Amino acid sequence: MKIKRILIANRGEIAVRIIRTARKMKIETVAVKTSVEPVAMFLSDADIVYDNTEDNSEIPVFLNIERLIEIALETKCDAVHPGYGFLAENAYFAQKCIDNNINFIGPSPDAIYKMGNKTIARKIALSAGIPMAMGSEGNIANEEEAVAIADKIGYPVIIKAASGGGGRGMRIVRKPEEMEKMFIIASKEAEKAFNDPSVFIEKYIENPKHIEFQVLGDKKGNVIHLGERECSIQRKHQKLLEEAPSVALDDELRNTMGKIAVQIAKAVNYYSAGTVEFLLDSEKNFYFMEMNTRIQVEHPVTEAITGIDLIEQQIRTAAGEALKYRQEDIKLTGWAIECRINAEDVQSGFAPDPGKIEKLSLPLGSNIRVDTGVQAGSAIVPSYDSMIAKLIVKGKDRKDAIKNCKLALDKVWIKGTKTTLPFFRMLVRNQKFLNGTFTTAFIEKDLDKYYLNSEYEEMLAAWLATKLFIEENLMDNSISVDFENSREMSPWLLNKRINQF
Amino acid sequence: MTATGPKVKKLYALSSENKRFCFSQPLKHSIRIGKHDYEVKLKADDKYGTYILWKNRKYPVEIVRSRQNKYEILFNDISYTFTIETPFSMQRMKVLNASRGKNERETLKAPMPGKIIDVLVREGSTVLRGEPLVILEAMKMQNEILSPVNGQISRVLTKPNTNVMKDDMLIEIKVD
Repeated sequence: MKIKRILIANRGEIAVRIIRTARKMKIETVAVKTSVEPVAMFLSDADIVYDNTEDNSEIPVFLNIERLIEIALETKCDAVHPGYGFLAENAYFAQKCIDNNINFIGPSPDAIYKMGNKTIARKIALSAGIPMAMGSEGNIANEEEAVAIADKIGYPVIIKAASGGGGRGMRIVRKPEEMEKMFIIASKEAEKAFNDPSVFIEKYIENPKHIEFQVLGDKKGNVIHLGERECSIQRKHQKLLEEAPSVALDDELRNTMGKIAVQIAKAVNYYSAGTVEFLLDSEKNFYFMEMNTRIQVEHPVTEAITGIDLIEQQIRTAAGEALKYRQEDIKLTGWAIECRINAEDVQSGFAPDPGKIEKLSLPLGSNIRVDTGVQAGSAIVPSYDSMIAKLIVKGKDRKDAIKNCKLALDKVWIKGTKTTLPFFRMLVRNQKFLNGTFTTAFIEKDLDKYYLNSEYEEMLAAWLATKLFIEENLMDNSISVDFENSREMSPWLLNKRINQF
Repeated sequence: MTATGPKVKKLYALSSENKRFCFSQPLKHSIRIGKHDYEVKLKADDKYGTYILWKNRKYPVEIVRSRQNKYEILFNDISYTFTIETPFSMQRMKVLNASRGKNERETLKAPMPGKIIDVLVREGSTVLRGEPLVILEAMKMQNEILSPVNGQISRVLTKPNTNVMKDDMLIEIKVD
C-alpha cells in the first residue's frame, strides 16, 4: 500500500527532516501550524499547512491524539509520522491511527507498549537470554522491598521509572539509608512525568559507555542492524554529542552486540527503525538497557556511515515493503560526529536560554550536514526543546572527523541566545575525548570547565568593555570632539565615578 | 566643555575572576602578543551583526548589559563581566574594600524565566559554594540553582510554585 500523503505529528528540525525525505519520495506532507509557533521552517517546507492556531485546548496539539487523528482524516493523509518525543512512543496513538485506516510510520502498537514499559521489556529480554544488569523481577511496591532487593544485588543500584525515558524518574542509590528518600523522589517524578509511579531496581553499572544499536525491520519479519552509536557524552542523561561507530567496539564485539540487538527486536516482532541501548563496562561486558521504538535525534550519524536514509526506510517498511538490505550488505564507512547545538548557557550549568535567533550562519561542505528547524529571525520558544541545530560532520576516520568538526564549529555563527558551541569547542580539544576513553560520567567527573576559555578571547572582551567605558564615560558628547584629542576626564565625570563608591 | 582635571592614562578591566587587563588611554586598536601588534576592529553588518575582527577571524560580540562601570560582554558565546577602573578609582576601591571588611552580600537571581519547584534552604542556613539552593523548572527541565559562594542565607525572596522572570531576586547570601 503506497503512501501518498503524510501528516507530520511533530515540529522543528525533525519535521523538516521528514519532509525532506518525503519530497524525495514524491510523497506530500501536511504540517500543523500552532499559535505558539505560527512561523517556522517546517511550515514553509510542507506541501500543506493545517491551521490549528484557533485550537484553545489545554493539551498541545502534538500531544492531542483525538485532534491529530481528526486533522489526518480532514487533510486526507494516509499516514502519520510521529518524529521523536511527543507521541512517538505512545502505543495508544499508534493503535488509533490503525483504527482509522491511517498508516502509523513506526513499529506496531504492541512493540511500542512492550518496549515502552521497562519492566515488561526486562522480562522479555530475560526470557530471550539477553545479558542484563541484575535487578528486580518487576515493579517495586515500597521502599522496604527496594532495600531487600538492593541488599541482594549489592549497592550501588539505580531506581528507574517503569514507563520512563530520558533520565526522568531515575535515581542512583549508594547506601541503604538513602533508599527511602530516593524511592519516593523517583516514584513521584515518574508519576508526574509519565502518569505512572511504578519503578524498578537495577544494579548500577559504574562509569559505563552508552552504546546503542540502530535496528531496522520490515513487516515480513526481517530485522538487521546498522551498527552502533556512541552516546556517552551526556549530561543528566541528555545526550550532547554522538558518534558512529564507537572506539570501544571491534568487529567481533560489534557482531555480538548487533546480533543481540536484532534478537531483542525480533522478540517483539519489531518493524520500522528502532534503537537498542546497552551499557558497556570497562571490561567490555554489555548490558541491555532499553529499546527506543522511534527515530532518534542522533540518527544522522548512522546515515552518514551507512549511506542509508532511515526516514525513507521507515516510510517504506510502514507501506509494507520488504527491506532491500541484508545484514551482509551493511558496510560502515568513515566516521561521523553529531553536535547538538542547543540554546543553553554552558556557563550556568546548561540552563536553557530561550530567545530569538537574531543571526544564523551555518557551515556548508561535502563532509558537513546541518539539520535544523530554525533560521535567522526564528524564536526558540520555552514551550519546546532548546535545540537550534544538529551539526553532523564526517571524516575518513575518527581523527579526521574530529579535525573537520573543530573547523566546522568555528564556522557556526549564532547570535541572540547562548549556545552549547563553547562546550563542543572545548570537547574537541579535550584529551580524554580525543583518546576515546570517556564514559557517561565524563561531564560530571572529568571536566572542571564546561567551555573553552581562551586567554586571547578574554583579553579581546576586556578590550571591548574598556572601549565602551571610554565612549560612555570619558568622551564628551555635548560637542563633537575627536576622541583622540580629548584625553582628559571632565571633573563632572570624575566626580560621578568617585561617588559610586 | 573644556576638559580639566587629572589625565587618565591607563584603564584596568577587572574580570569577575579577578584577572586584570591593563589598557593605555587613549585606547589602541591593536593588541600585542609577544612582539607583534595585531589590529582589532569592531564591526557590524547585516549578516553577522556586531563582531570583532582579529587575526583574520570574526568573533561574535554582544553587550549584554552595562551599568556604571560594569560591563557584561558576550564574546564568541561566552559571557565575561568586567569592571573598568581608572588608576585613581582602583586605589580608592582598595582602600574602601579594606575598611568595609568582608561582609558582602550576594544576591542570587533567576537565570531564566520559569517556575520555582523547590527552595532547598531557609533563612540562616549555612551554604557552601556549589550547593543547590533552588530548583527552577524551565523548558521542561528542572535546573538546580547553585550557591556561587560560601555563606549564610540572609533572605529567601521566593517560594515553591512561584513563576519568576529572568533576573528576579531569589535568595540573598551573606558571604563568609
